[in-house]
Amino acid sequence: MQTVINVEQLSKSYGNLLAVDKLSLSVKRGTVYGLLGANGAGKSTTIECILGTKNADSGTISVLGCNPKKDRNSLFQNVGVQFQEGDYQPEIKVSELCEETACLYEAPADWKKLCEQFGIGNKIGNAVKSLSGGERQRLFIVLALIPNPELVFLDELTTGLDAKARRDVWRILTELRSRGLTVFLTSHFMDEVEVLCDEICILRNGKAVFFGTVEQAKKANKCENFEDAYLMLSGEEVEKE
Amino acid sequence: MKLLGTLLKNELKLSIRNMNMVIFAVTMPLIVLVVLGFIYGTKPAADGTAYTFMEQSFGALCCISICAGGLMGLPLVVSEYRERKILKRFQVTPVSPAKLLLVEFLIYVIYCIVSMLTLFPAAMLFWKIEVHGSFLLFLGSWFLTMVSTLSIGLLVGGIAKNMKSASVIACILYFPMLIFSGATLPFEVMPVAMQKIIRIFPLTQGIQLMKAAFLGLPIENVLLPVAVMSAVTLICFCISVKCFKWE
Repeated sequence: MQTVINVEQLSKSYGNLLAVDKLSLSVKRGTVYGLLGANGAGKSTTIECILGTKNADSGTISVLGCNPKKDRNSLFQNVGVQFQEGDYQPEIKVSELCEETACLYEAPADWKKLCEQFGIGNKIGNAVKSLSGGERQRLFIVLALIPNPELVFLDELTTGLDAKARRDVWRILTELRSRGLTVFLTSHFMDEVEVLCDEICILRNGKAVFFGTVEQAKKANKCENFEDAYLMLSGEEVEKE
Repeated sequence: MKLLGTLLKNELKLSIRNMNMVIFAVTMPLIVLVVLGFIYGTKPAADGTAYTFMEQSFGALCCISICAGGLMGLPLVVSEYRERKILKRFQVTPVSPAKLLLVEFLIYVIYCIVSMLTLFPAAMLFWKIEVHGSFLLFLGSWFLTMVSTLSIGLLVGGIAKNMKSASVIACILYFPMLIFSGATLPFEVMPVAMQKIIRIFPLTQGIQLMKAAFLGLPIENVLLPVAVMSAVTLICFCISVKCFKWE
């Protein structure tokens, strides 16, 4: 299978804090890859280094065969990104934000259809700031899908969504994956990871402590439940007890 | 082209919705025009001059919108986009910094044009101003003044860390230029030493040139202002694109 993202020996530190430590990972085409870990484990830093919005201290990164820093013009024609702290112009309307995003790409998807799919079709005339948290989150997923991407990055994609909206997003992502889309996501919801992810990597203080599938994680830690396995691996259960 | 058109349309809508520039770059100059008009009417600028006070001030009036856009509006909007991580969202799309900056630049060009298009007919209709020199030369100097001042704003917006530092830099540039460039105090009354220093402001050069072109006064040295303004424009454009910071 073709490798879509390849990261080797990635390190990044902020001052004395080593945020990511010699991380290597690779993501295959058409799969959903989950990058997991507690807050501050280095997930967002890893995503930003992969996207080239942060400079890695060392290591090599290739996305769709491109260097994300040097080839951003061509690379981002095919990559959609949803940032955790994505922001928008004050006063902008949903339709304007979608239109403005769509015009940046050579072959954008029909954003009105995407809005319908994500249940915000009746909100396109509204100001983005008037949307509820869940609606806004769905809008940002729509924005990430507007490029008609081969690969999409979703940073904490369902944070703030209600149960039904979360299920809707899962359904759509599963459908997109069956059409060949590769997804790189981070999440704090282990039920979601269990449903969506083909492969996962768990980070702990910037180091990868587990690579594999959800089943493998459960087996290796002799847990019935994936969340328990995750807590053991990510080092979070120590504080719980 | 489609990209630029769509971005320009949407960003212009947002800017108008925000109202700041509608007030400072379009309404303000008109108010100043009306106030000056009521005070001075069609009186000559000084005893024995062939032109009126309004004609003498017209170039400076046109600079209000240029200053508002170039030294307040443009740097603040670009740095606000950076601070709010809107630029970061653009960073993970194929758009280039040069195109984004160009769109924001053009928005303020539009404000300046609108301001000019309202000031000129109003002044002509109510206070009978007329161009004593060359209208084309006047337009040319207005254009150079506009692009050079806006390019300074672009530079500030392009490289300032956040809105706060952009607004501090903008104020440091804005007020001396507004006060000393001849937009408010007449250039001629300032001490010679000071005149020499403030000659490096493109706005100073621009206003002198616009005034001379409008009134048909002899221009001693056209090349100097043209050279200063073109150089400022070119340098600012290059640095703001080269050193552009997404975040």
